[in-house]
Amino acid sequence: MIELTGLTKRYGSIRAVDQLNLTVGKGEIFGFIGPNGAGKTTTIRMMAGVLAPTEGNVTIGGMDMARDPVAAKGTIGFIPDRPFLYEKLTGMELMRFYADLYGVGNGIFREKADGLLRQFALYDWADELIEAYSHGMKQRLVIASALLHDPALIIVDEPMVGLDPAGIRLVKDLLRDLAAKGTTVFMSTHTLEIAEDLCDRIGIIHQGRLIGLGTTGDLRGTAELHEGDLEEVFLRLTGKETP
Amino acid sequence: MNDLLVLLRPRLLSFKNEGASRTARNRRIRYLLFGAIGLAFWVGTFFILYRVLNYFQGVEEFGDILARKLLSMVLVTFFALLIFSSIIAALSKLYLSRDLILVHSLPVAVEKIFFARWLESTVDSSWMVIVFSLPVFLSYGIVYKAGPFFYFTAGMALVPLCLTASALSALAVVAAAVLLPAGRIRTVFVFLGIFLIVALIVSFRLIRPERLVNPETSASLVMYLREMATPGSPLLPTTWVFDSLIAALSDLKGAALFHLSLLWSCAAALAFVVTKAAGAFYFLGYTKGQTTAEKLFPLRDRTRRSRFNPFSGLPGPQRAFVEKEIKTFFRDQTQWPQLFLIAALIAVYLYNFSVLPLDQAKIKTIYLQNIFSFLNMGLAAFVLTAVAARFVYPAVSYEGDAFWIVRAAPLTIRTFLWIKFAVYYLPLLILAEILIVVSNLLLEVTTFMMALSAVTVFLMVPGVVALGIGLGAAYPDFKSENPAQSVTSFGGLLFMLLAAGFIALVIVLEAGPVYTVFMADYRGYSLSVWQWTWLVVSFALVVLLCVLAVILPMRLGERRLAGR
Repeated sequence: MIELTGLTKRYGSIRAVDQLNLTVGKGEIFGFIGPNGAGKTTTIRMMAGVLAPTEGNVTIGGMDMARDPVAAKGTIGFIPDRPFLYEKLTGMELMRFYADLYGVGNGIFREKADGLLRQFALYDWADELIEAYSHGMKQRLVIASALLHDPALIIVDEPMVGLDPAGIRLVKDLLRDLAAKGTTVFMSTHTLEIAEDLCDRIGIIHQGRLIGLGTTGDLRGTAELHEGDLEEVFLRLTGKETP
Repeated sequence: MNDLLVLLRPRLLSFKNEGASRTARNRRIRYLLFGAIGLAFWVGTFFILYRVLNYFQGVEEFGDILARKLLSMVLVTFFALLIFSSIIAALSKLYLSRDLILVHSLPVAVEKIFFARWLESTVDSSWMVIVFSLPVFLSYGIVYKAGPFFYFTAGMALVPLCLTASALSALAVVAAAVLLPAGRIRTVFVFLGIFLIVALIVSFRLIRPERLVNPETSASLVMYLREMATPGSPLLPTTWVFDSLIAALSDLKGAALFHLSLLWSCAAALAFVVTKAAGAFYFLGYTKGQTTAEKLFPLRDRTRRSRFNPFSGLPGPQRAFVEKEIKTFFRDQTQWPQLFLIAALIAVYLYNFSVLPLDQAKIKTIYLQNIFSFLNMGLAAFVLTAVAARFVYPAVSYEGDAFWIVRAAPLTIRTFLWIKFAVYYLPLLILAEILIVVSNLLLEVTTFMMALSAVTVFLMVPGVVALGIGLGAAYPDFKSENPAQSVTSFGGLLFMLLAAGFIALVIVLEAGPVYTVFMADYRGYSLSVWQWTWLVVSFALVVLLCVLAVILPMRLGERRLAGR
């Protein structure tokens, strides 16, 4: 579903992402972890077509993001880390906006929008301007909007930021359900417990390079640890172990 | 005192560190351009006032009265400007700035926070008025051959005037914030301010100052001047400034110092009062502003909503952005006063054409009417450029932090920019055609001129809109709190220069052939082959120019925006 080949992004002399090669299969939940400034958000933005790579390719469902961005983006539900939205639209109007953009037909829009808004506890706020929403409500609205067109791939940057415990449970269950139905999920997170709990495979990025890839067990092997959780593996691989 | 300095330090450090910022180069260009414009305005104000005062000196009996009245009016205008800008600055500094959450979390007394912010807002709102008041005082000083004491008095009078205006504004803002959330107060004050400006423009226009050149009205003018000799209200701070300046001009040091002491004591007392009032009410108003997430609209029954949608025929992405653009535009209350101001300016613009005294001119009326009509094409296009600078150029920047939605959406940047173009093109075309057709009807121009103006403007509008969208996309500012201000950036200035150049070029290309056609028609002879060729080539060049003005900026905008 996702194929990254030699993906590189340079900001002046700084290499934010350096020769990243990665393949993620259909229905897989892939976790992307790394220290602050490691290149996670840059990678995610290039995958979503929000940022152009300096070198390399992003292929989504066989479609090259550089050659056919419209078709590739049409299959993605992108959820950024910060929920900046059009504050002067209502929640329902934003859903309609997404539906029009992603080609969700009028016949099914209302039912789907109402269902998602109910699922994310936003139904009673659907006709309020987004400027009146709290941070967590905006985050939930972004997630609901991104799911409206049944994307084949969900790219999500820090999915749990700003969500309350019920919201976190909801999103975790939802991502599991979607993956079980064949949707691919690519998520970056700092919450290692969630990555360990939810993801089929995990990639660790450090200073723009992929330094570890696989299940927690595989990563333990890479870190040359016989036991320990993902946190210990992460700290060992990124060289941030406390002495 | 130490706390105050700590609170002011971030501002001072930010100012110092501006040179190291990534946008420093752009900012330097902007400062240079605005500095040059400001200097030209400063020098122009000085020379005009200097000449006016010299002229007044030559008018027996009324010369000094006129000069004094002018000074009094200038001071009242300055004070009104100071009050208006202080209200906006105080609201922003005290209630709306993003750093307020951090500032209020600091272990500092609320009076000190208020005082530091108030000082900042006083400097922000006053420096420009002070800078542009200097040529006024300089010209009075030179014409009346004043000594250094006059300049000292002027400086010492300006500072307490600014402090008084700022204290009064802060008092009004602190009081209003207790009653209304801060976000709404800004709209109310901006509305009031714009309303006052519009009322001033309209009333000034309706007085018809052009009648003053008519000798028949001079009798009433003498009576008016006699009335002007009466002094201003002794309770107004501007009267104290006026009295101290007049005393200083006459070298009456005692009287000048007395009025200065009135000014300073008033400013100090008001500063004390506003700080004390703020101690009691500022935090209350600030808290109110932070806790107004109440429901803005009642929840409507979704099943009963009207299904009529005028854009239902458009393809999905186009419909999505057109609807979003229109809704967000009209729901943004900061846009309303601007629309109000534009409507008033258009009314005044058209009114000017209705009162042009063409029949009193020595040149033949038909000739004059058509010259005005031709020049009116350029004038209407310049009005259009000003409107586009305010609304079209910032259109891309208005996406703000939500621009990620556009980047992630399944549509190209090209489509996105053409949707923006289409949304602004139609209203601006209607506006420009109304301006041109109504003013031509008022001028009673020939059919040829009417058709020419309507077609030329029809061709120019897409160029101006595309320049706005294209350059706005090439130099976007997604981080600005107020994208409308992006027009003062390098890209905004480039847009205004290119749009003005484009309009001027079209007018220059058309001027010669149009004059030839008009004179041939007027004198009853037919055009030669050479004249026909000139006509066709000129108009072909105009069409080519208009097409290029659409294509080139849109391509530039697309390339720059996609490459970000």
